[in-house]
Amino acid sequence: MNKFLLHKKMYGLFAMILFCMCSFSFAQPVKRGTLKVTFVQTANGKDIVLRDSVYTNPFGETYSVNKLKYYVSNFSVPGSAQVTENDPYHLVNASEESINSFEIQLAAGTYQNIEFLLGVDSARNCSGAQSGALDPMNDMFWTWNSGYVMFKMEGSSPASNADLQRIEHHIGGYKGPYNVITPIKLSTAAGHEIKISEGNSTELIIEMNLDHYWNNAAAIKISESPLCTTMGALSKKIASNFSGLFSIKEVK
Amino acid sequence: MLKIKFIIALVTLIAAALLFISAVNNDGYGPYKPTPLAFKIPDGWPKPPTNIWAKNKLTEEGFQLGKKLFYDGNLSKDGQVSCASCHQQFAAFATYDHDLSHGVNNTLSTRNAPALLNLAWMTNMHWDGGVNHIEVQPLNPLTAENEMGETLDSILYKLKKDPSYPPMFKAAFGDPAITSQRMLKAIAQYTGTLISCNSKYDKVMRGEATFNPYEQNGYNVFKQKCTGCHKEPLFTDNSYRNNGMPLNRFNDIGRQKITGDPKDSLKFKVPTLRNVQLSFPYMHDGHIFSLYQVVEHYRTGIVTEQPTLDSSLKERITLSKKEKNDIVYFLYTLTDSSFIRDPRFGPPMYYVPGKLPDHVEPVRDRQ
Ligand code: HEC
Ligand code: HEC
Repeated sequence: MNKFLLHKKMYGLFAMILFCMCSFSFAQPVKRGTLKVTFVQTANGKDIVLRDSVYTNPFGETYSVNKLKYYVSNFSVPGSAQVTENDPYHLVNASEESINSFEIQLAAGTYQNIEFLLGVDSARNCSGAQSGALDPMNDMFWTWNSGYVMFKMEGSSPASNADLQRIEHHIGGYKGPYNVITPIKLSTAAGHEIKISEGNSTELIIEMNLDHYWNNAAAIKISESPLCTTMGALSKKIASNFSGLFSIKEVK
Repeated sequence: MLKIKFIIALVTLIAAALLFISAVNNDGYGPYKPTPLAFKIPDGWPKPPTNIWAKNKLTEEGFQLGKKLFYDGNLSKDGQVSCASCHQQFAAFATYDHDLSHGVNNTLSTRNAPALLNLAWMTNMHWDGGVNHIEVQPLNPLTAENEMGETLDSILYKLKKDPSYPPMFKAAFGDPAITSQRMLKAIAQYTGTLISCNSKYDKVMRGEATFNPYEQNGYNVFKQKCTGCHKEPLFTDNSYRNNGMPLNRFNDIGRQKITGDPKDSLKFKVPTLRNVQLSFPYMHDGHIFSLYQVVEHYRTGIVTEQPTLDSSLKERITLSKKEKNDIVYFLYTLTDSSFIRDPRFGPPMYYVPGKLPDHVEPVRDRQ
């Protein structure tokens, strides 16, 4: 390329950037703060401790939990000019080592509503090898019928007639009649809105209460359904309770 | 005040200009320089239904890494079983002369290993279509108890310890980090470029050869009776059909296992017929041993009582003895001997980072 031409191009570019910069300085910069979102898991009003406590479901069946993991994705606060997360997929794990918090950037303001998906949106179920929370290393991917296990609970119960009285619920399915991905919408109580101010961090604690897992839209008895490890009608039935699992515990 | 603003603007401008110049030279691979490979669609073939390379940039280094992984027994629990032990090049990447294949600890698969070719055109994989993307396909054999029986944690641990891998991951992905995602993408670069398009049939289609009269007659009959499912040029329409096989001893209901829909009972993916001469035995459980028997199945063997039997097969397929023989002659013309001998797809040789084996040419020049 001839030097003169290059220069000409450059001038054009400089002019463009100058223009952009000017318009920038007129625009009001958005004041942002941080919202830290934390998930806690409870049953019978207690925090869930794996392989430890015994809980009772609404049908009087006692059980303990060895594994409890689920995906939440695409978290959003409507109207908050939220900065898109680099990686909007989070795997909540009830194990003690797991943090179960993530942060998002919102415009300063007061908000009442939040939304997220319980599960991994259908697109990411069929887009090949993923990383981060979606890495198949996390043992949440079905290899014979591709797709993510959206919610996984394993434990044991005297009510279970399965081998070693186990409970194994791997709830997944991203398409057609067996799609279990559940949109969750929650609102804060009056006087407890999410207040975001510049430079400050607010924490939102969301409670996942396993009591509702057994009985919400559908009654799931351990004695009847100790195992559910494929997508299908049972998986879908269990997932019909998902919408009642979550509530806002605290905003601080 | 104005002055400071001006200086800031100037500095930003220069930085932006530098960025622009580097962006012009940027080929999307970042600072490292792998050798890009073009994925060339053979003349007259349709475009693949999805572009599997959109998020997995095809490079020589990625391909070589994928090939090494494909041939590496260390990916299995006992170090003995590689992908290539069930997918053998001389059998067009099926298991030669085996109805079922051998996994770790003297286990057997419950299905016949299909030939691996032209996978980039396949919408879903496995006989029941349960695998929805070429990149996640290896997760199944890697972790299945009756195939490679290994865990991902353990595989990555072994790869990190093997000194030959970090430089190859670096060459392919820009840094030596070994992750499941990179491993899977690399394997897909190998399996997804196994293209077979050089059989006698292809040469005839390109006007470089002619069928003999038997083959020609076989082709004519094939076009009337078989292409409804085994559609040219890939010899599959990627659909799931019941072609009248009996329910086998594993109670393998095929597609129904994936969709949960009884209407899909006993439906299996229509397999490609390219290199079918080499991929015997046949069908999802390998219970038919020769091509004559396959054609005889369509003539007299179809189990017509099954409610999900494909409507085009309700009356079975009428074929004279000559037509039956000629169809088989035609099927032989789908054998691509250059594909099964291509050293590019054969076992990897000693790999010097940054240097490609001499005889290996980038795919784009070959096809
Ligand atoms: C123990 C033998 C065995 C091993 C080892 C094995 N496979 Fe397979 N492969 C099979 C069988 C059997 C099937 C058919 C599976 C099914 O339909 O359920 C298959 C299917 C496939 C398919 C789908 C082809 C199609 O037409 O749908 C691909 C791709 C594949 N294998 C690649 C691999 C790769 C990559 C590896 C190594 C990571 C591997 N295989 C290891 C036996 C094996
Ligand atoms: C209705 C669709 C349909 C028609 C028509 C059809 N096929 Fe098939 N074919 C299939 C399906 C499905 C399979 C796999 C079935 C299974 O594994 O259970 C198959 C398998 C085969 C196989 C075994 C391939 C392998 O790798 O195992 C051969 C060979 C074959 N067909 C040849 C033919 C010929 C020749 C004709 C015409 C006479 C024909 N097919 C007509 C659907 C069809």
